[in-house]
Amino acid sequence: MKGSYARFSLRRILALASATLTQLIRMRILVFLLIFSAIVVGVGFVFPLPTPEQQLKLLKDVSFGALQFFSVAMAVVATALLLPRDLEDRTLYTILAKPVPRHEYLLGKLLGLLALIGGGLIVMDLILCGVLYVRQEMVFQEFIAALRSEGLETPESTAEVRLMVDQQGLSWTLHAGVFAVFLKAAVISSLALMISTFASSTLFTVVCTFCAVIIGHGQQLAREFFFHRHLDGIWEKAASTVFAILAPDLQMFDIVDNVINGEAVPSGAMLSMTGMGAMYVVGYLIVAHLLFVEKEL
Amino acid sequence: MAVPTDPSRDAAEGDRSVDSPAVPAVEVDGLTKVFKGGLGKRRFTAVRDLSLRVEPGEVYGLIGPNGCGKSTTMKAILGLLTPTEGRTSIFGRSSKEVASRQAVGFLPENPYFYKHLNGLETLVFYGQLCGLSGAALKARAMDLLKMTGLEDAADRRGGGFSKGMLQRLGLAQALVHEPRLLVLDEPTAGVDPIGSRKIRDLILEFRERGITVLVTSHLLEQLQEVCDRIGIMAHGKMVREGRLSDLIAVEDQTELIIENASDAMLEELKAVIAKGAASGARLIRAGNPRTTLERLFLEASEKANADEGKGVES
Repeated sequence: MKGSYARFSLRRILALASATLTQLIRMRILVFLLIFSAIVVGVGFVFPLPTPEQQLKLLKDVSFGALQFFSVAMAVVATALLLPRDLEDRTLYTILAKPVPRHEYLLGKLLGLLALIGGGLIVMDLILCGVLYVRQEMVFQEFIAALRSEGLETPESTAEVRLMVDQQGLSWTLHAGVFAVFLKAAVISSLALMISTFASSTLFTVVCTFCAVIIGHGQQLAREFFFHRHLDGIWEKAASTVFAILAPDLQMFDIVDNVINGEAVPSGAMLSMTGMGAMYVVGYLIVAHLLFVEKEL
Repeated sequence: MAVPTDPSRDAAEGDRSVDSPAVPAVEVDGLTKVFKGGLGKRRFTAVRDLSLRVEPGEVYGLIGPNGCGKSTTMKAILGLLTPTEGRTSIFGRSSKEVASRQAVGFLPENPYFYKHLNGLETLVFYGQLCGLSGAALKARAMDLLKMTGLEDAADRRGGGFSKGMLQRLGLAQALVHEPRLLVLDEPTAGVDPIGSRKIRDLILEFRERGITVLVTSHLLEQLQEVCDRIGIMAHGKMVREGRLSDLIAVEDQTELIIENASDAMLEELKAVIAKGAASGARLIRAGNPRTTLERLFLEASEKANADEGKGVES
């Protein structure tokens, strides 16, 4: 029965991730998915606007707003609860008294949370796609019927409406937008996890992470305002780098506006965003480990 | 209530026999732990130059008043705290090595577990952390739930467990990987006398099976019944340590417990003792020995249970 010890064990990490995921799901956090569905269906079918473009844009706009709210709120609040709660309940003692290296504990917790956010976003993405597809077909049929009633239906006008509806309707860029939302949530989660390794309470972690999120969204503007005007080239670069390390540049993940406007997202931009996101996550995890490994329990 | 085992336990027994008798189960050598003071707070020395050694297979009781450093010592042994000075080891392996914890099962004082996991899921989770998996782990978890009297709570979430149930679940998770060393911090805290008795019996069974136990408790009478050796701590230091029988024996007094003695026989004995007064011998006390409140409670409970059983049968 006695298990064997391995320096690195994916099984241990998955056990921690799975317990975290189960814990969060049973806290009925996914009730948000029902609220999201109600919002999407409500916006999609209850508020008709004069043009098909506006109707589809509004649907995407409100849906992405809800997606971002869900992912950021989960990333901050749920992550802030993980480690301090384990410490307060002394569950951490029983876990770390088993042969579990501290970096595996951190990785397992983060993976469990990201699985929840990722799974939630996939479900919401599917709901959005389904509603958007049905709505775009309805909008197309309504406008063709309107053209027909006015005697303006021609192959050219039909093709024009089709093009416009398709541009604002279901496309692959929609998934790119959801992926960007996930990346942003992953960066915020790892930042919150890092803060929770030295924070004295859940509230402190939540407040600090929200501050970092707010600064992160206005970082490019702040850098431009504070450094570009007053510092020389090298100093500006150094100050910007330090600033970017302390608070992640979250604006780089904001491709949602392009998606809502039906614009294409270049693959180069996606790659660069993914790389930067991964770099932030790994960086924060390394710092979190260095702080946590020395923590007195 | 037997400790559940499985056939692969033999392999673990084999491992144990490989240990050299010279390698202690737990060794604490010159341990000092100073907690740094925060803003406006002074440094605090929780443990000062503490040394102790727990031999394989023995039950060692660490006792002392609240705040004397027992829990800090246990945390240092488990690698949850880094010693300021000195070193701690488990079966010859430094506590700093994560691998040393493969041999340990730990029950903290007043344990809590994930409220949204049920009893079975909790034990499976802890088993997986120890590298166990599959049907064998599930069977082991069920056996442990049965052993600790929690089989009815296998599907019930931890959030609804009473204090005593949490304590028993804590003991089950400590045993899930069949450790060679059990570290129990106040194992009977919050447990009713019957549950407390069961835990005491389990500790005795662990000793029979060769499992080393390091235990702290405020219930000294219970520790007296199970411990081979005792260490008494005060102000972060070890003030007395040794075999329990040696520590508690009053060497210049002798106890005779006689059953069914007549008054005449007792008078004769008193007369014999009086004859030895010249050599300093004297009778200090004579009377009926008293049972303990715990024993009285258990006897009354068992009798009530038996009567209830008879009533149901008739």
